[in-house]
Amino acid sequence: MSNKHSVLLKEDKCEGCTNCVKNCPTKAIRVHRGKATIKEDLCIDCAECIRTCQYHAKYAETDDLEKLKNYDYNIALLAPSFYGQFDRKFNPEKIKKAVYKLGFDEVWDVAYAAEAISKKTKQFLSKNKGTYISSSCPVIVRLISLLYPELLDNIVPFNSPVDLMADYVDNKVDKNKINNYSIFFITPCPAKVTAIKNPLGRENSNLTGAIAVEKIYPKIMNIIKNNDLKNVKLKQKYQPFLGISWGQSGGENDILNNEGVIETLSVSGIHNIKKLLDELTRGNLKGIRYLELVACPTGCVGGIFNVSNPFQAKYNIKSNTRSKKDFIEQNLNDYNFKLDEKIKEIGAEKLDDDFIKAMDKLEKLEQLIESLPGLDCAACGAPDCETFAEDVVNGLAKKSDCIFVLRKEIGDLADQLSLLTHELPPVMNDKENNNE
Amino acid sequence: MKKKKIIDSEIKKRDFASGGEVSSKLKSLLRKLGVNNKDIRRTSIITYELEMNLIIHSEGGKLKAFIDTEEIIIVSDDKGPGIKDIDRAFEPGYSTATDDIRELGFGAGMGLNNVKRFSNDIEVESKPGEYTKLKAIITIEK
Repeated sequence: MSNKHSVLLKEDKCEGCTNCVKNCPTKAIRVHRGKATIKEDLCIDCAECIRTCQYHAKYAETDDLEKLKNYDYNIALLAPSFYGQFDRKFNPEKIKKAVYKLGFDEVWDVAYAAEAISKKTKQFLSKNKGTYISSSCPVIVRLISLLYPELLDNIVPFNSPVDLMADYVDNKVDKNKINNYSIFFITPCPAKVTAIKNPLGRENSNLTGAIAVEKIYPKIMNIIKNNDLKNVKLKQKYQPFLGISWGQSGGENDILNNEGVIETLSVSGIHNIKKLLDELTRGNLKGIRYLELVACPTGCVGGIFNVSNPFQAKYNIKSNTRSKKDFIEQNLNDYNFKLDEKIKEIGAEKLDDDFIKAMDKLEKLEQLIESLPGLDCAACGAPDCETFAEDVVNGLAKKSDCIFVLRKEIGDLADQLSLLTHELPPVMNDKENNNE
Repeated sequence: MKKKKIIDSEIKKRDFASGGEVSSKLKSLLRKLGVNNKDIRRTSIITYELEMNLIIHSEGGKLKAFIDTEEIIIVSDDKGPGIKDIDRAFEPGYSTATDDIRELGFGAGMGLNNVKRFSNDIEVESKPGEYTKLKAIITIEK
């Protein structure tokens, strides 16, 4: 259990291999004494380690449906990607009705807020020069605040669609009549869970919690199959098809393109995105006004809590939203786009707060890196020699944790030992010399 | 405090595959030293432009970076065609890049202009047909 994160380790299942260590985009994992540990200040809950671990030792925590019993009134928010999970020609009304049957009193589409953000983004880009990054993927926002803080001002200063929708729905609740209510997000990914526990750019979230798609999916399928849903009344009048297209990579930009904003680029997959952000820092991206960056390959449909194959889900969404060109009519003033506060730098890379001390450490670090084999074998439990050297300089690892350093030290010791055996006490005769 | 050298890299002619490595390395070092984001950003842009200049225009050269609490200095030192008209070289859009370079998406003539724009001060010394030495100074904001 962690206060900050949702991606966690099942220690008993961890075999101490270093696959997750090597694939972690923020170098947040180390293996010590045969078990992986996740560094809290470096983890961005991207779930790459869950994808990589062949022993299923990594998992992510979400709420159970049981929790609905704690409240008198329950509201569910559905992610756009949720509709990609249904392989027959999907019908958002029917799916929403089935979610009501799980015990919710209201069900709303996050796609509503997504459409509003698309409109707002268009306005924003016409008023501000430069290259901007979508704020919708919480993994990307956290990645930037950790590794690319110099790009924080490039993130559009808006709440993510989920937060925006939670605020919108919370605002609608008649608090005189209902006070013990909940708003749960049916989430495709752990990062959205983290965004509730530990929000970025805002004081707190209006969401009560998040329930993984995989926890409710079989129940939904059953309800659709076995129930007559005609009598279920939807609170939400319209189906926001444009917003639903946000659920797969490229969807957000498709909307902007339709609206005439064409200098856009969509990139998905966190390792690709890191390369792209490197270029943006160097000033080497030309002509691009808007970047839709989503950490999961293929977009939110690729979130680890989803059930359908992400490519199929991408297809489902694309084919069902392709012909839809109209926004739902809504008033942008109903939303509070603005973040409460500037997104802060996480700043975990500094060697020391004092420049002179940091300089000293850097020098030690460079010398240490020189003395290491540079094989990045990860047998020390760190992802590469450079990171290992940093751990040593910061007092988090011993130099002899490197198997090559250890071998050399033992070799040197053995040489010394053998030299010592030839040293004789002065009272003894050196036979070989006497024989001469 | 004496300035410390934190980068000393050899850059080879037309080695596009390594383009950006020095800039990334320097960014990571500055981050470890706790330099502010704004100055890291402009140092990255300057270093990248100089790095690409060496790759595109020179016969090869060296890129060095020095730092103390006050400023960062980037020095680019090459053997190559030199710059005939230094004032013009800093004008936006001025470029001597050949067509094959332009086909690769470089040579738009913004490189040196960017270096000047993001530096607090620059010094250039060049002899046509022999060498170019450029020094970019970035004052660290406190």
